[in-house]
Amino acid sequence: MPKDDRYLDPTDSVAVPRKTAPRPTTLDGKVVTLLDISKAKGDHLLDRIEELLRERTAPKAILRRKKPTFARPAPDDLRQQILQESHVVIEGLAD
Amino acid sequence: MTDGLPVVPPTLTRVERAIKASGRPPDDLIALVPPNYGRATVEKIAVNAVMAGCRPEYMPVVLAGVEAMCDEAFDLHGVSATTNFSSPLFIINGPIRKRLDVNCGVGVFGPGWRANATIGRALRLIAVNLGGARPGVISMSTMGHPGRYTYCIGEYEEENPWEPLHVEHGHAPSDSTVAAFAGDAPQGIYDHRSRTAGDLLTTIARSLGVVWHHKATALGDTLVVLSPEHARTIAGDGWSKKDIQRFLWELCQKPVKDLLAGKDGGEGLPEHVLAKIQSPETNETLIPKFRAPEHLKILVAGGTAGRFSAVIPGWTFPNGSNLVIKKIHSRD
Repeated sequence: MPKDDRYLDPTDSVAVPRKTAPRPTTLDGKVVTLLDISKAKGDHLLDRIEELLRERTAPKAILRRKKPTFARPAPDDLRQQILQESHVVIEGLAD
Repeated sequence: MTDGLPVVPPTLTRVERAIKASGRPPDDLIALVPPNYGRATVEKIAVNAVMAGCRPEYMPVVLAGVEAMCDEAFDLHGVSATTNFSSPLFIINGPIRKRLDVNCGVGVFGPGWRANATIGRALRLIAVNLGGARPGVISMSTMGHPGRYTYCIGEYEEENPWEPLHVEHGHAPSDSTVAAFAGDAPQGIYDHRSRTAGDLLTTIARSLGVVWHHKATALGDTLVVLSPEHARTIAGDGWSKKDIQRFLWELCQKPVKDLLAGKDGGEGLPEHVLAKIQSPETNETLIPKFRAPEHLKILVAGGTAGRFSAVIPGWTFPNGSNLVIKKIHSRD
């Protein structure tokens, strides 16, 4: 075995695992976006979540946004829009 | 960092040997691997290829496979994250099949050939180690399938009465290529008795008719892998690939009234489609299962004895995954 025969890393050390943002302690006064990913019945789930949010919390606004397809990531402009206009995102999966 | 099976330790010596065989500098960036967009440099690809057990001379195929699965049209982001079954299947065409002893014949989806086993495995490890497709973390497939260990075949061009896949997609017969296709596990079709193209393709169409579920519509790329015996029966009647695609596509249509959700199963045409249709309960308008005949990709592979073929359902939502084919750049 050659002298310097160390093992090499199969992963990309540059790619740092993403961290989630700090969780808010309350939704009161926050702008909440409900993101529909375009799966069947996703709107049913989000409708119910919106009802519950309005019942139990006092958000400043609840916005509804939708991905063009669940099969691909949200387009950049939609992500930017959500980032700029809201404090909290709830993404609705479905099926 | 592995698929659960032991790996070959990626020592500097082995990795350098693989890089040298690729003919490319180690820092060359081949692709960013979705969904985590890790950098697939020649060196990182070589590390994974060594771990998978690839011989150094397989490197050009692995590089082309990375290019194919990371192409935007393939949508590896969706394929890696979905709850669906899908996994990239790699199909090798051209003269390199013989040089590397890629199996195209008997037991084509099974074990026994180092090139098939390790090239497919290397690409899977790359999707995990550079793309982040770890089961239960990003890869959320409910069932998965055994092709997620390795899924790589050659087309049996010598038994193919028609032009092979890569020529159909604009490559020269002398080119070697690798195609990436997001596929479920193979679904077997038995037909020992049909002796005409029409009879045999009717059997195949009825089997295609239950892909996903029997009322699924608007599907895209789907693979039909004909065994050499089946291919001979069809070609013997003078049918072209286009004839096959058109025939299968037409036979897989169903009238609206048979595609209603809640009738013969809870699945069916989506509400936004039904909203545009008058009297759906009695409507005889034919709805195709596949968006266009060209989405039925015809391939010839498998042993020369046996009247069996296979269908491989795709991950084919509109805007979903398409078959992507890339040329292999080999020095010899």
